[in-house]
Amino acid sequence: MMDLIIQGLILIGLLLSAGMIWYFRDLLSAAISFGVFSFLLSLEFLILQAPDVAIAEAAIGAGLTTAIFILAIRATEKDPEADAE
Amino acid sequence: MNMSNLVRTGAGLLMPFVLVFGFYIVIHGHLTPGGGFQGGAVIATAFVLLIVAHSRETIRERISLGFLKNTETLGLMLFIVTALIALAAGIAFFGNWLVNTGSLFGTPVAFGINPGDLNTGGVIPIMNIAVGLEVLGAMSVIILAMLSVVRGDA
Amino acid sequence: MKQVMTWLVVAVIAGSLLLCGAGLEFGVPAYHDMDDYMIAHGQEETGGNNIVTDVVFDYRGFDTLGEATVLFTAVLGIGLVLRTLAKEDEEYEYE
Repeated sequence: MMDLIIQGLILIGLLLSAGMIWYFRDLLSAAISFGVFSFLLSLEFLILQAPDVAIAEAAIGAGLTTAIFILAIRATEKDPEADAE
Repeated sequence: MNMSNLVRTGAGLLMPFVLVFGFYIVIHGHLTPGGGFQGGAVIATAFVLLIVAHSRETIRERISLGFLKNTETLGLMLFIVTALIALAAGIAFFGNWLVNTGSLFGTPVAFGINPGDLNTGGVIPIMNIAVGLEVLGAMSVIILAMLSVVRGDA
Repeated sequence: MKQVMTWLVVAVIAGSLLLCGAGLEFGVPAYHDMDDYMIAHGQEETGGNNIVTDVVFDYRGFDTLGEATVLFTAVLGIGLVLRTLAKEDEEYEYE
C-alpha cells in the first residue's frame, strides 16, 4: 500500500514537472525542471527494481543533459521579446 | 559570465563525494548494481559540475583536454586488448580467461545469494574499469569541446 | 473540426496501444529460456555476483564493444565538427 502511494506521488510529480518544462518562459527554469523530471524518473526506476537504469538516468539525464542545456543557455543571448508575453 | 558564489562553493563541496561514488560504482561493478558505463557517467558528472560552475579560464587552467582524451583512448585499448588476450588463451573472443584460475580476480565465487568478494569475476572487473575510463573521458571531452566553441565570456 | 479529428486519431492510436499492453503481465516474458540459463549458470561461469554485468561484459561482450565504438565515434565526430569552429575563435587550443 505504501509502495503504491509513493509511486502515485512520483507519477504526479513527473506529470507536474513535465508540465513545468512546457510552462516556463525562462529557459534556465525549464532546464532545471528537466533535471527534476529526470531525478523523479530515476526514483521511479529504483522503485521498479532497476537500479542500473536508475544510476544511468540520474547521471546522464539529471547531470549531463542539464549541464549541456545550461552551457547552451549561457552561450546564447536572451530574447527580449520573450519577456513581453 | 560566472555563476554565483553559492553555486561555485556547492560544486566544489559536492565534487569529491560524486567522484568517490563514481569510482565505487566502477570498482564494485561485478558485485553491486551499476558497472562501467554508469560509473563513468557519474564521474563525468563530477567534472561537468566544475565546468558548469566556473568560468572558461578557470576550466582551461584546471582540466586538461589532452589528459581526458588519452584516458578515453586508454580505456578503449584496454577493453579490446583484454578481449583479444582471450583469443591468445585459446577460447572465444571476449571469453573469460581469468575466471576460477586463482590469480588476480580469479577466486571462485560461492553459489547462491552472498555478499560477494572483490577478488572475483575474471575479466569483468578489468572490462568495467576499461569502460569506465572510456565513458568518463568521452563525456567530459564532449562537454569540453562544446564549451570551447561558446562565444563571448561564457 | 480539424482539432477534434486530431485528438480523435491520437485517442484511437493511444487506446489501441494500451489495449495491446493491457493483456501482458509485468515481469513475465514469453520467451525466457536464455534468462533462466544465465540466472542459473552466471555465477559459476563468469564469477560475478551481479548478473547484469555478467551478461553485459561476458555473454554479450560484442554489444558492449559496439556501444564503446558508438561513443568513440560520437567523440570523434564532435571533435571534427567543433575543432574548425574553435579554430576560428583561436581561444581554445584543441589538440
